Amino acid sequence: MYKFNFASPATIDDAAAQFEASDDATYISGGMTLVPTLKQRLAMPSDVIDLSKIASLKGISLDGDMVKIGAMTTHAQIASDGLVVANIPALAELAGGIGDASVRNRGTIGGSLANSDPAADYPAAVLALGAEIHTNKRTIAAADYFVELFETALDEGEIITSISFPVCKVANYQKFSNPASRYAIAGVFIAKTSAGVRVAVTGAGPYAFRQNEMEAALDGDFSAKSIDGITVSDDGLNEDIHASASYRANLIKVLAIRAVEAIS
Amino acid sequence: MSNNASINGGVGSGISHDSTKKHANGTAVYVDDIRVPENALHLYAFPSPHAHAEITAMDLSEVESADGVALVLTADDITGMNDVSPTHSGDDPLLADGKVMFQGQAIFAVAADSLNQARAAAQLAKISFKPLPAILSINEALAQDSFVFTPQVMAQGDAEGELKNAKNTLSGKLNIGGQDHFYLEGQASLVIPQEDGDVLVHCSTQHPSEVQTHVAQVLGVERNAVTVEVRRMGGGFGGKETQASPWAALAAMTAQKTGRPAKMRLVRDDDMIMTGKRHPFQISYEVGFDDAGIVTALDMTLVSDCGHSLDLSRAINDRALFHADNCYYIPNMRVTGLKCRTNKVSNTAFRGFGAPQGMMAIEEVMDQVAQKLGKDPLAVRQANLYNASNNTTHYGMVVEDNVAPEIIAQLKTASNYDKRRAEIEEFNANNEFVKKGIALTPLKFGISFTTKFLNQAGALIHIYADGSVQLNHGGTEMGQGLFTKVAQIVANTLNIDLEHIKITATNTGKVPNTSPTAASSGTDMNGMAAKLAAEKLIDRLRQFAIEHYGVAEGDVKFLPNRVKVGKQTFSFKEFVNAAYMERIQLSATGFYATPKINFDPETGKGRPFLYFSYGASVSEVEVDTLTGEAEVVRVDILHDVGRSLNPTIDLGQIEGGFIQGVGWLTNEELFWNDDGALATHAPSTYKIPTMGDRPDIFNITLFDNENMEDTVYKSKAVGEPPFMLAISTYRAIWQVTKGNLDAPATPEAILKACGEPS
Ligand SMILES: Cc1cc2nc3c(=O)[nH]c(=O)nc-3n(C[C@H](O)[C@H](O)[C@H](O)COP(=O)(O)OP(=O)(O)OC[C@H]3O[C@@H](n4cnc5c(N)ncnc54)[C@H](O)[C@@H]3O)c2cc1C
Repeated sequence: MYKFNFASPATIDDAAAQFEASDDATYISGGMTLVPTLKQRLAMPSDVIDLSKIASLKGISLDGDMVKIGAMTTHAQIASDGLVVANIPALAELAGGIGDASVRNRGTIGGSLANSDPAADYPAAVLALGAEIHTNKRTIAAADYFVELFETALDEGEIITSISFPVCKVANYQKFSNPASRYAIAGVFIAKTSAGVRVAVTGAGPYAFRQNEMEAALDGDFSAKSIDGITVSDDGLNEDIHASASYRANLIKVLAIRAVEAIS
Repeated sequence: MSNNASINGGVGSGISHDSTKKHANGTAVYVDDIRVPENALHLYAFPSPHAHAEITAMDLSEVESADGVALVLTADDITGMNDVSPTHSGDDPLLADGKVMFQGQAIFAVAADSLNQARAAAQLAKISFKPLPAILSINEALAQDSFVFTPQVMAQGDAEGELKNAKNTLSGKLNIGGQDHFYLEGQASLVIPQEDGDVLVHCSTQHPSEVQTHVAQVLGVERNAVTVEVRRMGGGFGGKETQASPWAALAAMTAQKTGRPAKMRLVRDDDMIMTGKRHPFQISYEVGFDDAGIVTALDMTLVSDCGHSLDLSRAINDRALFHADNCYYIPNMRVTGLKCRTNKVSNTAFRGFGAPQGMMAIEEVMDQVAQKLGKDPLAVRQANLYNASNNTTHYGMVVEDNVAPEIIAQLKTASNYDKRRAEIEEFNANNEFVKKGIALTPLKFGISFTTKFLNQAGALIHIYADGSVQLNHGGTEMGQGLFTKVAQIVANTLNIDLEHIKITATNTGKVPNTSPTAASSGTDMNGMAAKLAAEKLIDRLRQFAIEHYGVAEGDVKFLPNRVKVGKQTFSFKEFVNAAYMERIQLSATGFYATPKINFDPETGKGRPFLYFSYGASVSEVEVDTLTGEAEVVRVDILHDVGRSLNPTIDLGQIEGGFIQGVGWLTNEELFWNDDGALATHAPSTYKIPTMGDRPDIFNITLFDNENMEDTVYKSKAVGEPPFMLAISTYRAIWQVTKGNLDAPATPEAILKACGEPS
């Protein structure tokens, strides 16, 4: 590791101010993604600002018909939290399937969403459930959040403070894990929401996206049969060392059918 | 603990590995655990970023002046030879000299106070390259006639002619991927400088004598100035047969030049990028067969990707050819082996040493023939087995110890093969997407190094005057249990409890000119050498008793832990002490050279093996034909280890070998970028099997047999053969997919094959 300045501010404002004041700062939450990046010198920030001492980034609460999850909440906490399990069981299950035990015990939802890895799991839930991403400046709707490969709507230095998920008891997440890392080669989150059926896909494209054709079909008839005839194009899907675009296209449909069957 | 009836821990007892507890509680010492002296230097080798390039300029001044750096080594600093090729082919430079031949080739090395300093300093190098066209695949190599060695042909009968006469013919292709060794302990060496410029090398290697040779060659000194010691490795699998030398040699150069201890341990990514792997193979064949499925003619070509240098590729490819018959008699057979040179890391020994790829080829042929005729694949296999009258292999060796038919018959019954196959057919008829497959494959694996001079081993045994014994031999311990087995052999031969036999580290100063612990022959050869040494000691002690106590030869009896001389009985300890007082030499060496073997590469004929080990396995898999996911649900194995020296250790080898083979054929996928860089160089991208991948039902039985040949206590080698039991898993998956299924059968490969017309 190389030398950098390290600070553990106690408030969100302090953290943002310290970010402003330094040349090239970065936040650290669980460090599961950031620390390997630093080790490999893929990024060499002058200042690393630790968010883990900020009390207001923690905790899970029920806020009307929304479950609000602090950005510093770990995957393991989300997987086992009573409120989440009772109100959005599919989200708890998704969190419990991330990486391995040590990744789940350190990695945070805020870090995952800020990083926006194309193979991360949460983005599918965020899009399908229509979550809101709260930052120290504003609230960003799910639909506006994912912008490009590893790129989000967050501004430089903007801090995710919490994420609000609408309560949704009828949903399911299916993923095809990379056998080595357990990241999603493809993942499909299907939710029956008040606005209709939502189908969101992660892992397969540069960033998470909704599968409108399947949503329309499932809105008409929520059954595996109704999406069986849909052809998923491999256009624009990821092609990498883990899988080809056409294999991912095939997985999207298979996983969607599995999710529908799990719900029905 | 002494017992009058029998000794503890003798041959055949299923005692656990000598280091089991130490492995579990962390007290087993590996190279990286040896406390380094305070002034030790740590090395890092800078890997080439190009697959093939000329080095046009190199400025290392900033590296030299970086923090903590004591020494920078380039090809120009080598006082001896810049070569670490195992067969003296001269194409494995220790450090690149003017050009690089693969991505990851060491260009220079930095020695610094810490590994981090060395790595950081290396990044300051300024090197200019002129990239050259690189050959990155077997097909490109074939198109450009790029080979590391001449082709080898082995043939009998008239394959070409009989293919024309055959009732039915088929032709096909099969691609088989490589495999990283993924030993838990990476390559590591620690060199302690001695007086007069000599060096002591602690090295994680299967071949201490070769490390000694290479270190001496690079330093330009005689071998007597280099001592290599290895207590144990954290896994080897062939990856530490030739791949351990470079790092030892760089550390030795550093120790020699600075007078400071020097350590070199590759981090995992560098280990995967910089060291050779199992050879990928491309198989093509044309087979002729009658309506019963009997193969009458076969013409097969096995092409391998050897990487940039020869290394052991000649012998590895030969072993692939030697096993292209597996257990089957093929009267008209021709196999040709082509060894491609590519701009990749030089591929090397890996458990099975080419045989797995040869067997994969012939097992593909068997299934394709059965498929074409609509016959049970097992029936076709059985119809083609070697038997008493048809028993000559394509390389002219007579198969005298054939137990494959019995093993198959027993396993078929024990595993309920027929009933399960019928049930599976019914299951498949009733299930649209999830399909099951079952396959039984046999194996026959030749034991001996096909390089004749390597078939020799030595041992050294001391009995101290208190009756305790110290044992040393040329074999190395890599977790396979060799040390335990050889100690059991010595306990048996001396007829004393195992706990009196002290196992000691392999050391080139104790037993010289040793062969690698490889070719599954570790116990056969070192166990025999140790037995011969122990027998020498017994003979001497008997002679002492006859002379000293004035008794007849028949009156001296070596009973468990005691010696009866006439009417007197001594404890072993008392007896040994008496011999010592009478100035009897209580130290002996033993030496073994495997008999009967020969092979002539010119004619492609001979008897390369002393004997064969056999086995068979049945795998049942469940495949999701929508995603290509496959699960191994049940495995039954019947395996021949002759008279087992230690059933616990043998079962461990069989289980581990099988699982490692399944990893090769299913999950472990090496992915190379278009520019020749290995993209899968860490466990985050390269998946080896874990405990969770063990099939739920996993029955392993040792076949009741004894070696026909005069091997140590009638045992058979067990290191490599079980690896090839995994072929039944691949064949079971193929039963579902049919078509062209490349190995490894990853979900994507399976899905692709499912989609093809069969
Ligand atoms: C072996 C392994 C397996 C994994 N498998 C999976 C998997 O199966 N599925 C999956 O989804 N993920 C997986 N991950 C990723 C894991 O979930 C990470 O924890 C997550 O991507 C990052 O979270 P973190 O808290 O560790 O963030 P950090 O590494 O601390 O930070 C990541 C980035 O986010 C920024 N950041 C962090 N917190 C905030 C914030 N509150 N506001 C703004 N920016 C912030 C940081 O500056 C940094 O740029 C895996 C990771 C590993 C190492």
